[in-house]
Amino acid sequence: MSKWKIHTPEGVQDILFDECALKRNIEDKLRGLYRSYGYFEVETPTIEFYDVFSSGTGLIPQETMFKFFDQQGRILVLRPDITVPVARISATKYREMPYPMRFSYIGNVFRYNDYGGGKQSEFTQAGVEVLGAGTSEADAEVIAIAINALKAAGLDNFKLDIGQVEFFNGLMDETKLSDEETDLLKVMIDRKDYVGVEELLGKCEMGADLKKLIIDLPALFGSADVIDRVEALALNKRSLDALENIRQVLNILDDYGLSKYVSVDLGMLKGLNYDTGIIFRGFTYGIGFPILTGGRYDRLVEEFGRQCPATGFSLGVSMIMTALQRQKADIAKPCIDSIVCYSQKGRKTALNLCGELRRQGLIIELDLSTGGVDAVKKYAAGKNIGGVINVSDEETIEIHDIATGAVNKTGISELVKGCRI
Amino acid sequence: MNYLTIALSKGRLADLSIEMLENMGVDCSEYKNPSRKLIFTDEKNGVKFFLVKPADVPTYIEYGAADLGIAGKDTLLEEDRHLYEVLNLGFGACKMVLAGPAELQGKLDQLNNKRVATKYPKIAREYFEHKRRESIEVIKLNGSVELAPLVGLSELIVDLVESGRTLKENGLVVLDVIAGISARMVVNRVSIKMKSDKVNWVIEGLKKQLEARKGESSLPKF
Repeated sequence: MSKWKIHTPEGVQDILFDECALKRNIEDKLRGLYRSYGYFEVETPTIEFYDVFSSGTGLIPQETMFKFFDQQGRILVLRPDITVPVARISATKYREMPYPMRFSYIGNVFRYNDYGGGKQSEFTQAGVEVLGAGTSEADAEVIAIAINALKAAGLDNFKLDIGQVEFFNGLMDETKLSDEETDLLKVMIDRKDYVGVEELLGKCEMGADLKKLIIDLPALFGSADVIDRVEALALNKRSLDALENIRQVLNILDDYGLSKYVSVDLGMLKGLNYDTGIIFRGFTYGIGFPILTGGRYDRLVEEFGRQCPATGFSLGVSMIMTALQRQKADIAKPCIDSIVCYSQKGRKTALNLCGELRRQGLIIELDLSTGGVDAVKKYAAGKNIGGVINVSDEETIEIHDIATGAVNKTGISELVKGCRI
Repeated sequence: MNYLTIALSKGRLADLSIEMLENMGVDCSEYKNPSRKLIFTDEKNGVKFFLVKPADVPTYIEYGAADLGIAGKDTLLEEDRHLYEVLNLGFGACKMVLAGPAELQGKLDQLNNKRVATKYPKIAREYFEHKRRESIEVIKLNGSVELAPLVGLSELIVDLVESGRTLKENGLVVLDVIAGISARMVVNRVSIKMKSDKVNWVIEGLKKQLEARKGESSLPKF
C-alpha cells in the first residue's frame, strides 16, 4: 500500500534550499513594497466554502477547484484565488471600515487541471486589492505597484498590457448578438482568433464599420496611439468612456514615470469572469504565460452584501522565480559564513561565541560531529563554508580560512570585539 | 540571443511550411542538408525552427518553447491550448465531419446510446455536448477510424475528410460538418508582445504570399 510514499502528486512540488531562499527573498521584497503603499497584509483560510467562489456570477469554473466535504456535508474547496476571499472579508468583517480599503496578501492557491509549463496546481500568489475606489487613480496605483513589484522581484525586461472590457461591452450594445454568441466572440477575440471572429460575424447583421472594428479588435494592441485611432470612429458612450479611462490611466502612469513598461491591448478580454473595467497582464522573456494579472471587479463585492468598486492584481511568485532562472539573473544562494568546533574545555566559550557572531548578523553553523578540526575543515571545504573556528579554550581560538589555508590565532575578547570573520 | 523559435508540423504540412518560410528569406539550408540535427538555425535572420508531431505543436507554443508555429486547425481544436491563432494559411484544407452508415441519415435522434469512434475525443465530445446537447460514449482510436462502424465497434465516427472517397467506399456518409480545417499560424501569447517585431515580420511575410496566391484581401490587418 506504500507504492506512492516516495512521490508527490502531480502539480505540486518541494521547494528546496536555494529556491526557497530565493522565494522568501522575493516575498519579503514584495511584502515590504506593498506595505510601503499602505496595503496591509491579511491571511485568509486555505479552506473555504465552495459557495464563496461559485455563487452569483459563477466566478471560478468548478472543474478547476479541489473539493471535499465537511461533516455536515457542505462542499469545501482549497482556495483557487485570494481576491474573492478578500472581497468576502471587506463586505463582512470590515463592513464598517471607511473607503478606500487597501489589502495585500501572499499565499498559496490551488487549481486543479491547470498545471504545466511552469504552472503548478499549488502556487503562490502575491497581490494587492483596493476596495471602495472607482477612480482612474486607483487603476493607475495598482498598475504602478504591479510594475514596481516586478522590478523589486528582480525583473527589468517586462511589459504590462492594459485593456478595458467595457470597450468591448459598449460595442456589443450596438449589435444584436445573443449572450452565447457574445461569450464565444469574447473568447475568440481574446485568443486573437481572427479566422473565428470573421466566421462568426459573417453570419451576423450589423453596420459595416462596426463589423470591421470588431474584426480588427484582436489586432488593436500596441502603443497608446491605438486609442487615438479607434476614438476617431463613431462609438457609443460606453466605449468612449472606456477609452477615456485607459487614456487617464496612461497619463497618470506617465507622471509616475512608468510609461515605458505599459502598452495597450483592446482585444484583451478574458481575465476572470468578474472583470468590469481596466484589466492588465504582465509578461516577460523566458516564460510563455502571463506572470501577473489584474483588473477592476466592481460587481464582485456586492455578491457578499456590500456595493463597492474594487481593483487589484496578483502576481505568480513561482512564475517570477522561473523567469529569473531562465533569464539567468544573478541569484544569491544561501551560504554559511563560518562553522564553529570546540574541544570539551572550550564548549561554553564556543557556544557564547556562536551567539555573539549570530547577533552580528553572520550565519554560523555549530559542529555536531565532534570529529576534530581536520574533519570539520574537510566538511567546510565540501560545503563552501568560508571559515572554521576551532575553540580549544577561552584564550586559544584558531580561525582557519578555507580558501587560502591561512590560520589566525586569537582569544575570545579580541574576536568578539566586533571583528567580523 | 533572442532568436525567434518556430515549431512546424511534421508530415503533410511540413514541406509547404518550409517553402513559405524560404520564400520570405529564411535560410532553410540546414533543414535540407541530411543530418541528425533537430533544430535548424538561420543566424542571419535570428530564426530557429524545428519539426515535431502535429499534435505537439500547440503544446510547444503554449509553454513558450516555441514563439510561433504552423499547425492544422484539427490539432488546435483537439488540444485547446491557450495561444493566439493569427492567420489562416489555407493549405491542408479538409473537413472535420460526423459520419456513419447511410441508413442513419436523418435518424440520428432515434439512436439512444451513441458510440463515437474518433482520433479526436475532445472535438467529438464538444460537438455533441454543445451543438447537439447530447451525451455520448467516445471510443478513442489511433487510425483507420472508418473501420469502427463496419465491425460494430461504434455507430458513428468523427474524422477528417478530404475527398470523401474512403467513406464512400466503405458505405459511410457525412452526417454533419463539424468544422472547416486548414493550416493556421499560431503564436505564443507572450511572444506576440515581447518579440512583436519578429513575429510581425513572419505574419506579414506569410500574409503577402497568401495574398499573392489568392489575390484576395479579406485577411486581418496588423
